[in-house]
Amino acid sequence: MPAPTPLPRPGLAPDPAAPSSRLGRSRPEIAVAGVWRGAEIGRQPSAVVPTGWAQLDRELPGGGWPTRAITEVLTPQPATAEWRLLGPALRQVAARGGSIIAVAPPREPYLPGLQPAGLDERGFVWIEARTLAERLWAIEQLIKANACGAIIAWLEQARAEQIRRLQVCAQACEALVFLCRPQAAREQSSAAPLRVHASPDPDWALRLHILKRRGPTLDRTLTLASVPTGLAGLLTPRLLHPSRLFSREVPAHAVGRPAPALRPRRDTAVQ
Amino acid sequence: MLWAALLLPCAPDGTPPSSDALHGLATWALQFTPRVAIADEAVILEVAASVRLFGGRRALHERILSEARTLGAVALAWAPNSLAALACARAGVPGAIRLPLPGVLDALALQVLSAARPHQLTLAQLGCRTLGEVRRLPRGGLTRRFGQALLQVLDQAYGLRPEAHGWVELPEVFRARLELMSRVETAPALLFGARRLLVQLCGWLAARHAGITAFTLHWAHDAMRPRDVGEGGALTIRTAEPMRHVEHLQRLLAEHLAQVTLAAPVGDLILEALDVMPLQERSASLVPDKEVGSEPLTRVLERIAARLGADRVRRPVLHEDHRIEWAQDWQPASLALPRSRVASTDTPQPTFILPEPLRLALREHRPIFQGPLMLLIGPHRVEGGWWHRGEDDACSHHVERDYWVALSERAGVLWICHERLAGDATAWYLHGLFA
Repeated sequence: MPAPTPLPRPGLAPDPAAPSSRLGRSRPEIAVAGVWRGAEIGRQPSAVVPTGWAQLDRELPGGGWPTRAITEVLTPQPATAEWRLLGPALRQVAARGGSIIAVAPPREPYLPGLQPAGLDERGFVWIEARTLAERLWAIEQLIKANACGAIIAWLEQARAEQIRRLQVCAQACEALVFLCRPQAAREQSSAAPLRVHASPDPDWALRLHILKRRGPTLDRTLTLASVPTGLAGLLTPRLLHPSRLFSREVPAHAVGRPAPALRPRRDTAVQ
Repeated sequence: MLWAALLLPCAPDGTPPSSDALHGLATWALQFTPRVAIADEAVILEVAASVRLFGGRRALHERILSEARTLGAVALAWAPNSLAALACARAGVPGAIRLPLPGVLDALALQVLSAARPHQLTLAQLGCRTLGEVRRLPRGGLTRRFGQALLQVLDQAYGLRPEAHGWVELPEVFRARLELMSRVETAPALLFGARRLLVQLCGWLAARHAGITAFTLHWAHDAMRPRDVGEGGALTIRTAEPMRHVEHLQRLLAEHLAQVTLAAPVGDLILEALDVMPLQERSASLVPDKEVGSEPLTRVLERIAARLGADRVRRPVLHEDHRIEWAQDWQPASLALPRSRVASTDTPQPTFILPEPLRLALREHRPIFQGPLMLLIGPHRVEGGWWHRGEDDACSHHVERDYWVALSERAGVLWICHERLAGDATAWYLHGLFA
């Protein structure tokens, strides 16, 4: 008489070996998921939008600009590099039908120039908020409404607790939120999980320094090739490196000396 | 049948609530069912057919209770017929839905039925203080002594005879008046009273399956006002799309009221619906909605525009013009955009522009802006506009400019133009930035 095969009991898996092996395999992953080692780039729990530069994506947690968080973009001067840096991401937002809202831009945005970068003029809104309180209120309303694709706001002076308040609100917002702030804000602490410093480079590039990210600090500066839209087809080989032209125009006879110190001496020689 | 009775409070001296208040409550109640009637100082509604639509009996109860409190109702009771519901509401009993009706009604005092009130004293002298005690009297003697009416009402309340009602009809236009409890001296404080009218308005809109795009809040100053102050004021509020969302309408009203200064204390409020449009409602969904907690963009922009000013929340309108000043125009975000689209040009265009071209200083006959500029690409000639004259017809908007893409080490890539002035003089201007 054959031994009776044990009937699978309700509530238990029929094969007792399988679950234990599955558990055994997955256990290290479970353990690792909660642990972040300081040497590796943090994980981004929410969706990201690729920045358009593979070398920048590699350095950002999750591989792009984060949603559900605010991102600070510090520039030496307002209106020098913002659209060039954010354009590739905004193009993807606009392609998905998301509206792009500019809060208190330092100059009038010019849509015929933004259209070739993929922005749709029908999904673009300019909110002119003059005082800081108005700007913060408008940004907060937009973030809480969670109705647009991207918010780009220019804030000259904002205190750390005001940024923290926006960051707390942004945790429920699926849009990209960028705060463009002056370079001086670099010294302040900020609740934004990602802070970058961007400055234009004469050789059609952006110099980007990641000041803060979820991960180890990045000491080197990234150089991202970026030609303003519309100009790419017009650059002759000579214009590809304008910095060389600059150095030719302002002669630097004394290597290693700053140019202003050189000028009076040359003037005296002419006299 | 499932009846609800909503009781409005009487004044301390026994004056019944005003007809305005009763009709306001009835109009609001028409969103739940077309069977709404007014009985003495209460509004009664029959909602058996709408229970499922509003998410079950408990959800309907909660909703009616919370909104009716805003409108001033003090008691809500449920029963299988209107007289029993009204009796329970007057007695402060939650209702007789789960318990057998005679058991609940028998214990109630006589004055809960309006028809029994004239005979209350006589019946009390007979030793009858509750409905149950009256019912135990012989029917023949009761009819002979108190008339047919008392017995008929008792039978109707106990569900033994049918009832007849005069239903409230939905008004064609909405105009509701509210007398404020006390004189209001600041505009934002009007919001409390206005909210009551807005709840009524939204009930009326729901009953008509419509949304509102414009409404006016009138306020009337009281008789104690100074002589030079007029009768009152009004505030008209327009929304971008039809809606009937009390919270949003209230926030819009709050933003606008914050900018109003009252000339004198206010005694009365009147809310009037101006433009009403049909509103398509969204079906409820079985799966959880993805957009929970989010608000449509038009609504949030409207709110921002209400505080900052309509012309400061803008959308671009493009024109086919190659002069930068006239190629782009801005209009308030609430207005509809033109249908036609403008083809984009293939010439380089800046991404930020200056409202007025900024004249640049010269050093060694070359323009400077935060240091020396290097002219990279150009000239790009923009010429024309002699046909375009200003509003006063004095000057022509003709331009003759040579645009250059210039590079500054500090300010980035710029869009500057070279223009001829009177005589042989020329000038350089900064007009845009390739940011």
